[in-house]
Amino acid sequence: MDLYTFLYDLATGPLLWISFLTFIIGSLFRAGLYIMASRKMDKVTHEHFSLKYVFLGLVRWILPINRSVKKNPVFTILGYIFHICLIVVPIWYVGHISLWEDSRFGWTWTAIPDEWADYMTLTFLAIAVFFLLRRIFSKDIRLISTFSDYLLLVVTALPFLTGYFLSHGTLENVSFFGENMELIHMLCGELMLILIPFTKLSHFILFFFSRGATAVEFGRRGYSV
Amino acid sequence: MPDEVNPQEIIGFLKPRIGARFRTWLKICSHCGICADTCHYYIANGNDPKMIPSYKVRFLVDLIKKKGKVDKEYLEKVYHTVYHECNMCRRCTLYCPFGIDIALMISLLRSLLFSQGLAPDGLVRAIENYKKFGNQMAVTEEDWVDTIEWCEEEMAEELVGLKIPIDKKGAKIMYTVNAREPMFYPQDIMEVAKIFHVAGEDWTVPRKEGWDDTNLAMFCGDIKTAKYIVQNTFKRAEELQVKQIAITE
Ligand code: HEM
Ligand code: HEM
Ligand code: SF4
Ligand code: SF4
Repeated sequence: MDLYTFLYDLATGPLLWISFLTFIIGSLFRAGLYIMASRKMDKVTHEHFSLKYVFLGLVRWILPINRSVKKNPVFTILGYIFHICLIVVPIWYVGHISLWEDSRFGWTWTAIPDEWADYMTLTFLAIAVFFLLRRIFSKDIRLISTFSDYLLLVVTALPFLTGYFLSHGTLENVSFFGENMELIHMLCGELMLILIPFTKLSHFILFFFSRGATAVEFGRRGYSV
Repeated sequence: MPDEVNPQEIIGFLKPRIGARFRTWLKICSHCGICADTCHYYIANGNDPKMIPSYKVRFLVDLIKKKGKVDKEYLEKVYHTVYHECNMCRRCTLYCPFGIDIALMISLLRSLLFSQGLAPDGLVRAIENYKKFGNQMAVTEEDWVDTIEWCEEEMAEELVGLKIPIDKKGAKIMYTVNAREPMFYPQDIMEVAKIFHVAGEDWTVPRKEGWDDTNLAMFCGDIKTAKYIVQNTFKRAEELQVKQIAITE
């Protein structure tokens, strides 16, 4: 068996399972660990728990109706668009849905139009490049950035870049990429999924706990949540 | 002040205090910099990147990563940041998309430093006073009562019948002051007495410790003394069976 076949079998078989399961179980673990540690150590959150504040805080910060948007409209709105693309494209892109349909699960759901997927992918990539440049060239952001901040931005962007190349055959004439783009894309997607629970990307789930805990703490003191 | 820093002590102190929130905040801060210009230290220092709130808690990440293996010099750097670059106002948290509470983490670092014998002299002196006298200015019970009675006499000349009731059981409001008032600004106490009198409020001040409503121990993270100070006030309120505690401005 040559290397390509080995990697291809790995990426479409065990690694696909491993990545999705790591992502799902790992994220549930993150949530579970938070709840357990919080029960034991963050007494204040539980003694003053209030669904009202948690709900208010989450709504305000998931939707662009918070004071940060007012203060920093450009950066925060780009952040919102970045995340909408990040969540919508992989789930509702027709190329992905057809893979689910052909899989042992046979699941299928309505896709977004192809052009949307294309535009959203390009928009996402443009914003990712902007975020990267900002990290590199802004004196402020450079100081607080760690190696993993740069790395994870690239890791998040790679599935989009390679996915776009794959569906448009962009690099088909470059022999290595032409032959391997599908494999590269799958490996990139799998890498991202695997890294989510172990890195700051776990914010996709911990956001709710962090925002919620602060909403309780600030709400009970009568501050703005 | 010990010259050697014992890593076990540092980790032993942090471990039981780093709850789910702290861990999460240190993990998910995306270093986006939104909090930068929400901090008055950042703006007042000509947008100095070192004043970015998120940057100031790097020590906490670092201390955990290094398992507490740091030296005295390092702790002094931490000291400089947590006392001279953040006053724990929490404004940055109002703008952080994750609601990361920088002030709470700075407070934890101050606690850690206090446990290592590092705290501003003024606060340490105040803490000694709280422990001995129940107030930050070392006012004795006798002096306190004298001052109150003197205030009452002075004011009664202006407003006939004015009283500053001491230890009046069952009063509605128990009034507490900043210990600097009996020391340096008794006129503040008189002004308040005037207002209570004219408003016809049923009020009192406690005789024993608990009348000082400042809590300087809190500022250097001496949670034990901070708790003791608040408990004194509540103890007095319960003894006097008051409905409310009012604190000075
Ligand atoms: C409900 C889900 C999510 C919420 C509420 C959320 C929230 C946030 C927030 C508040 C920020 C910082 C500010 C900003 O750049 O806009 C951020 C940054 C980021 N998020 Fe998310 N996120 C979510 C899901 C995800 C997912 C699933 C990923 C990818 C796997 C992701 C990747 C990123 C990246 C890479 C950044 C950093 C951008 C930079 O370097 O500046 N997020 N997210
Ligand atoms: C982990 C397993 C994954 C597999 C097996 C996979 C597979 C594929 C395939 C086969 C295509 C091309 C479809 C076509 O040309 O018809 C594609 C496109 C794409 N994928 Fe994935 N993918 C995976 C993960 C991801 C992830 C995690 C993301 C993003 C976070 C992503 C984003 C994209 C994008 C943006 C496109 C191109 C959309 C466009 O046409 O502009 N993929 N993917
Ligand atoms: S705003 Fe919040 S997430 Fe962004 S750098 Fe500041 S503390 Fe970190
Ligand atoms: S809590 Fe500290 S870091 Fe945050 S805004 Fe206030 S002074 Fe600045």
